Amino acid sequence: MSEREVLDLDVLFVGAGPASLAGAIHLKRLLSKSGTEASVAVLEKASEIGAHSLSGAIVDPRALRELFPDFPDTDLPFEAEVSEEHLYYLTENKKIPFPFVPPSMSHHHCFVTSLGKLTRWLGNKCENEGVDIFCGFAGTKLLYEGEQVVGVRTGDRGIDKNGEKKPQFEPGADIRAKVVILGEGTRGSLTKNLIDRHELMQGCNPQVWAVGVKELWQMPSGTVPPGYVAHTMGFPLGQAIFGGAFLYGMQNDIWDLGLVVGLDYQNPGVDSHHELQRLKNHPWIRSLLSAGKMIAYGAKSLPEGGWYSIPKLSVGGAMLIGDSAGFMNGQRLKGIHLAMKSGMLAAETTAEALATGKFSESDLADYDSRIASSWIRDELWKVRNFHQGFDRGLFGGLANAGIGLFTGGRGWGIKNRLSSEAGHKKMQKGVKKNRYQDLQFDGTYLFDKVTDVYYSATAHEEDQVPHLKIRDQDVCVSKCTEEYGNPCEKFCPANVYEMLPDGDGQRLQINFSNCVHCKTCDIMDPYQIIDWVPPEGGDGPVWVNL
Amino acid sequence: MDVLIVLEDNNGKIHRMGLESIAAGQRLSNEMGLTAGALVLGGNADGLADQASAYQLGEVLKVNDALLESYSADGYSEAVKQIIDQENPTYVLFGHTYQVRDYVPRLSAKMNKPFLVDNIAIRVENGQPIFTKQMFNAKLSADVEANSSGPFLVSFQSAAFSMDAAAAGSASIRESTVQLDTAMIRTKSEPPFQEEVGGVDLTSADIIVSIGRGIGKEENIPLAVELSKALGGELAASRPVVDSGWLPSAHQIGSSGQSVSPKLYLALGISGAIQHVVGMKGSKNIVTINKDPDAPIFEISDYGVVGDILEIIPKLTEAIQALKN
Amino acid sequence: MKIAVLVKQVPGADSQLPIQSNQNWVDEGAVAFIMNESDNYALEEALQIRESMGEGEVVAVSLGPDRIQKVIREALAKGADRAIHIQMDTEGVIDPLVTASIFAHALKEENFDLIFTGLQSDDLGMGQTGIILGEMLGMATASLAMATELGDGKIKVKRELEAGWFQWVSLTLPASVSIQSGLNTPRYPSLKGIMGAKRKELKVVTPNVVDATQSLEKVYLPKSEKQTVLIEGSADQIVEKLVETFRNEIKVL
Repeated sequence: MSEREVLDLDVLFVGAGPASLAGAIHLKRLLSKSGTEASVAVLEKASEIGAHSLSGAIVDPRALRELFPDFPDTDLPFEAEVSEEHLYYLTENKKIPFPFVPPSMSHHHCFVTSLGKLTRWLGNKCENEGVDIFCGFAGTKLLYEGEQVVGVRTGDRGIDKNGEKKPQFEPGADIRAKVVILGEGTRGSLTKNLIDRHELMQGCNPQVWAVGVKELWQMPSGTVPPGYVAHTMGFPLGQAIFGGAFLYGMQNDIWDLGLVVGLDYQNPGVDSHHELQRLKNHPWIRSLLSAGKMIAYGAKSLPEGGWYSIPKLSVGGAMLIGDSAGFMNGQRLKGIHLAMKSGMLAAETTAEALATGKFSESDLADYDSRIASSWIRDELWKVRNFHQGFDRGLFGGLANAGIGLFTGGRGWGIKNRLSSEAGHKKMQKGVKKNRYQDLQFDGTYLFDKVTDVYYSATAHEEDQVPHLKIRDQDVCVSKCTEEYGNPCEKFCPANVYEMLPDGDGQRLQINFSNCVHCKTCDIMDPYQIIDWVPPEGGDGPVWVNL
Repeated sequence: MDVLIVLEDNNGKIHRMGLESIAAGQRLSNEMGLTAGALVLGGNADGLADQASAYQLGEVLKVNDALLESYSADGYSEAVKQIIDQENPTYVLFGHTYQVRDYVPRLSAKMNKPFLVDNIAIRVENGQPIFTKQMFNAKLSADVEANSSGPFLVSFQSAAFSMDAAAAGSASIRESTVQLDTAMIRTKSEPPFQEEVGGVDLTSADIIVSIGRGIGKEENIPLAVELSKALGGELAASRPVVDSGWLPSAHQIGSSGQSVSPKLYLALGISGAIQHVVGMKGSKNIVTINKDPDAPIFEISDYGVVGDILEIIPKLTEAIQALKN
Repeated sequence: MKIAVLVKQVPGADSQLPIQSNQNWVDEGAVAFIMNESDNYALEEALQIRESMGEGEVVAVSLGPDRIQKVIREALAKGADRAIHIQMDTEGVIDPLVTASIFAHALKEENFDLIFTGLQSDDLGMGQTGIILGEMLGMATASLAMATELGDGKIKVKRELEAGWFQWVSLTLPASVSIQSGLNTPRYPSLKGIMGAKRKELKVVTPNVVDATQSLEKVYLPKSEKQTVLIEGSADQIVEKLVETFRNEIKVL
């Protein structure tokens, strides 16, 4: 079968995350109310919904309640309502509670949730509405007519590691659609292309990202209170690295432990996986986890830039939703409700466009207006300078955030807009102090990266061209080694990149099969020569309830 | 007899796994105070019966029948069923061979009695046998019990028992007959033939020599190849070796390669990362040579050597070749 | 030409397998499920036969709870014409006599010419259902097929034997054949196939359950009470001891 399949649809969402799924459900309902017939589909690179979904997470139920107003909370796919919340400053051995939790950082009336569980639930609802969900298909190229997006091409399947066609080769399919809505998650690959081609970031602050790594721990029966929430700052990251830890109690006696590390640190040796292991050395964490067993590991990147880092959201034939657009409230550490709402707003614009039959840039700009007058804007406006404050370190950032609470989000109380710099540019040259000298992996409580990767159940078709494209590998073995000490080995949480001895020199080995699709490398490489593109459809992590 | 051990023909000799079943059957009957015997059938039944009579068994039954000269699932399942009806054993033991997988399920269906397959162990608890098999590609073990009354059909995984544990003795040979007719045999087999296996099938190898990153460089691989040839085993590798392009992925063992449980797994320069270990920890005997005494693989090894594989491999090859000559 | 393909949904190769506290089974809530690997090859073989004959019907059949609908739809998306879901909670059911008799009861009126099954399931690994089903429906059987050739009222099957040996066997139809992985190249489902799967017939039936003749006592992590014997000395001494171990302890020399 080697003819390119062509499919004509009306609306295509790329990425079966909460943004796209909420959007597709909402769109189908709008269409059936107006009596319009339209085909709506969702493209998902994972073999099943939820397999590539990872988050903390604490979900603000606002968007879900809008989408399912008749559902009692007990019917919604949460783990538990937040029952207690704590905010701690950690030193290496101590845990100091914050005197109070500022209301805007409170998770009161929110729900501890597994994103995998949430997306599977949304996926079911989506299919019930008659949406086609194509799992195992990766969107690899936008189709254009002039500057109008007219569809998406999916990846070829059955190409071997030398780029040759295997017997089962099948060219990617061309899915033509009147509207393409990109909900690919953080640093989406089609999103990256769209933003570059149409210069959608013009006039915006550069986006700034963080990476979140987490482990799920199975504890003895009855020892984990579902709905327990704790966030920490301080140890292990210290003052100079943005981020902090979270600990959430899930159902079935599972502790959900994670660490968010800003991808704008200066020390090229920072390794988020290792920082998570260091965190576990804290006596408080150890006392909670040591009787249990680690059962899953994963990582994802998050858009931290806030309101000013959000690009223009629409072009002719396409819109950006969710993490791809950068809708995340860094202060509340919540983005799922914003993602869902953005999907729903994009659906509203789409429904109108389908009614008029017009999909040009000016028609779809209706989406940007809807966002600007929605509660997404209201919420993000208040924290529009949150991340930028941390350029002055942890206490500067907290002070800025604190002042912002009283000044409606002004930077340092006075500036409407603080600028930001792309995170990878902050990385400093020269070898820094090794933060992990005393870190010992015992294989039962503290795990080396390779062991943790096993628990992400990630697998890729081995016989394919690596999906991590490096534009100039010479840089890796010479310049980068001298200037930054090959930070790819450290910032990748999955041991994809390895510098190995090769005769007198060294070579870069890309263990692409370990990739958990977090996009950290695409974001953080100081030379910006790494391009993450989707591997063969169906490849990647197989997360169940991350 | 209480325990009937069905032996298989391997070109005129008793198949090794049949001898392993004799060891199993002898142990079972000793522990439970039962009598054991063997059954041979097929074109070489006479020769096989003579060989079987040299083991400590109550007696050896042999069945000669024109319709059994060449193997067929219909013929063998019907013949063995009739013998079971005649002799009324409680346990019927087999080695878990390709042939057994082909006909014994039919036998189970004809008799409506359970076929407890591919056991790696058997133990007696409160006078009842508990059969242990692997599940989920050997990631988990499972204890299985029979719920009905006998006879129970039981097969054993290769090397679960050792053929050397089959006690020698002397058994009488008795000729038995079965009633078969051509109409009941619906298959026709051509003679078996050998083929260069396109891929590398490590799962049926009894001896595997496996190399890890410790092999150092591609130029050292021939050393391991020589050793595997000397031992009569297959060459395998952990992931890093394949990722470096030193061996094709068909040799890979582990979560993204093959899962094996051979009689001997010789791990050379392999650290024991979990991705590799899940593919081989079911091996009956794991021998490790690694210069790092803290390598996790030692925890799952039966025998360990902390040493330099590049020094030891060539000497080991030489010693084995000398022994065989 | 009517071909049935039995497909089973099993935990994926890299799935976590947390054991329930009563050790009865694994906690399915934490498992990532896929179509059993050899069943996928069996399905492909059936589809290729239908294509080469230019006629015929491939029916996907599966036994299990609601969650198995995913693999049934996958089979339909790949090209099966219709499907039968025998709906049953199969936790703890390991006896192939039971599962085969459930299939026999559900399928006997269909009068299939061929039944294909994967050689064994990657969870239980009993490897018998297809053969027992063949016996129950009065069919000829063969296992571990590495190639098939359909003839007039017959099918020739290349059986895999030990150590690189093979054997062609000719079976009269109807026949039940268990299929070995690797005999063909399974296709990917197309987008249209996925869309079309929704419109194909998926009949849900209730099982006729019989008593089990064997059951699962418990599952557990394989015991590793290994006491590693360290072999020490000079390289020559080590080699000598290794040879002795291979010879007398492990018995491979």
